[in-house]
Amino acid sequence: MIRVEKVELNLVESLKRHVEALGEAFKQAIKPDRVTIEYPRERRRYPLSFRGFIIFNSEKCVSCFRCAQICPANAIQMEAHSKPYPSIDYTKCIFCHFCIESCPTGSLNSSKIHDVAFRKMEEMVVSANMMVKLPRILKEEKFTVDVIVKDKYWKLLRKKEMDDLSIPPIKVEVPKKIVTCAEPESCLGCRLCANVCPREAITVKEIEVAKRVVSYVLKVLTEKCVGCGLCVRQCPMNVLKLEVVK
Amino acid sequence: MITEWQSLLPEKKLEKKYFGILKEIVIDSKLCSHCAACAAVCPVDGISSGDQPIDFPNWTEKCVDCGACIKVCPRYDYKPLSGLGDYIEIFSGRSKRFVGQDGAMVSEITVSAIEMGLIEAAIFAGRSEDWSTKIVTIKSPEQLKNRKVTGTKYSYADVLIALKEAVLRYNSVGFVGTPCMISAVRKMQKTFKKFERVKLAIGLFCTENFYRHDLYDFLIEKKSVNLKNVVKTDIKKGKFIVTLKDGRKISFSVKELEEIVPSGCKVCQDFSAVESDVSVGSVGSEEGFSTVVVRSEAAKIVADYLKEKGYAEISQTSVDAIKKLCDYKVKIHPYPKKS
Repeated sequence: MIRVEKVELNLVESLKRHVEALGEAFKQAIKPDRVTIEYPRERRRYPLSFRGFIIFNSEKCVSCFRCAQICPANAIQMEAHSKPYPSIDYTKCIFCHFCIESCPTGSLNSSKIHDVAFRKMEEMVVSANMMVKLPRILKEEKFTVDVIVKDKYWKLLRKKEMDDLSIPPIKVEVPKKIVTCAEPESCLGCRLCANVCPREAITVKEIEVAKRVVSYVLKVLTEKCVGCGLCVRQCPMNVLKLEVVK
Repeated sequence: MITEWQSLLPEKKLEKKYFGILKEIVIDSKLCSHCAACAAVCPVDGISSGDQPIDFPNWTEKCVDCGACIKVCPRYDYKPLSGLGDYIEIFSGRSKRFVGQDGAMVSEITVSAIEMGLIEAAIFAGRSEDWSTKIVTIKSPEQLKNRKVTGTKYSYADVLIALKEAVLRYNSVGFVGTPCMISAVRKMQKTFKKFERVKLAIGLFCTENFYRHDLYDFLIEKKSVNLKNVVKTDIKKGKFIVTLKDGRKISFSVKELEEIVPSGCKVCQDFSAVESDVSVGSVGSEEGFSTVVVRSEAAKIVADYLKEKGYAEISQTSVDAIKKLCDYKVKIHPYPKKS
């Protein structure tokens, strides 16, 4: 058990304490130590790892469906454009950003926008072409607040500036994976893997003997394969595998 | 790391897509045994089976021409198997743990194999209330306490389709099937390595099998028996015996069923499932016992295990009775068909 010691109060000690208290009161009256951020006049500077509104880069997307598959809230639907692209239903999205983390090509990216307003429920299903750039931003704030934490000492630092709400795309450092065949002896020869490949990374060569096709030679073009795993999921015999390239 | 591989194609006997060839040479020539091996391996899931003849609606467009169906079809390049085949031992048994068609040895062998760790799961053809077949994946002995799972159904079931799914999921599986299914699985194992995961193939003695709707209609029209009220069907000594819920038994000669025997069964001469790991049937045993024909080393280990544990009563078998039926099947199902 911890006992709090009785404070010894002599004249000098209590005078010192009074002065200290008065000083603190003065300080707070002039320059208060507010913890509260007065949103929307002020906005906290969010870190680059912030999970906000999702931005989409259609050039990088390989339509592998991985984002739609992994979404725990089932908020991502693939929509038909020139290729299937993801659309996000913000009535369902829980901002876990599994989609961004699972994207093999880094075509999805976060932003610092957490306050998105929609006029109708239907508008909350945001299609891919609405995600390519940041939504129109109306800003009211004058200050950006940085929270500085150093050991036990912390303070809010208000700067009269507007924060940039976009986040530069993080360079994806997923180990490069390519598809390989783990058991060619079980290949049915259906070539569905080649058909489903968005990058035409699996080629099929028909071997002919006396004008008769005797076999198919399937080949993975390692430089074209992005390791999206679409073929792995398609293979009816489950013989395809993604392997890390060193 | 294999990034280049080859898939060999079977020879094309006709200038068609492979399913077209299968259709003309096997299905339309009335050789199809309805084992559904083609439906199991079809990469585009286009081949339909169930309670109707094997078909692939609009195969001309959807067939990807991979030839997998032809590679596994036991009736393509058909050379009928017959006789009792090779075996290590033959005995009769009656399970002490399960109730089945006769001695419930299929259930007993399956459960013993699961207990030993030889297989992780086994595919059985169960049935629903109206005797339509329902595939069951057996993983624990409790599942075989259900009489709708054990016992003979005399109807085509999509066992091999479920077997393929099981092969993708488990490392070792077993299944129970008719001789044509066993032959199909052996062909699958020869062509596609993945099917080597089928570690235990339990064959059933079989003279013929039926489409469920044919059997259902036949019993209603000719015998005014609704299959929904039936608890057991059996073939014994040339008689088809139907046991009703109220205990009544209706029996008639199997010959009466001749009109509904599917054409594919009429060319089959394999009574004892010669390519199986172990064959089970009633012929050759006394009432309440099942004959077990152990053919492979793996099955021998299971048989020894269940004998050692005392899971079954063991009795003598009349090998001659089985041989007689093997010969009988060859006689009634001539191939090539005499025109």
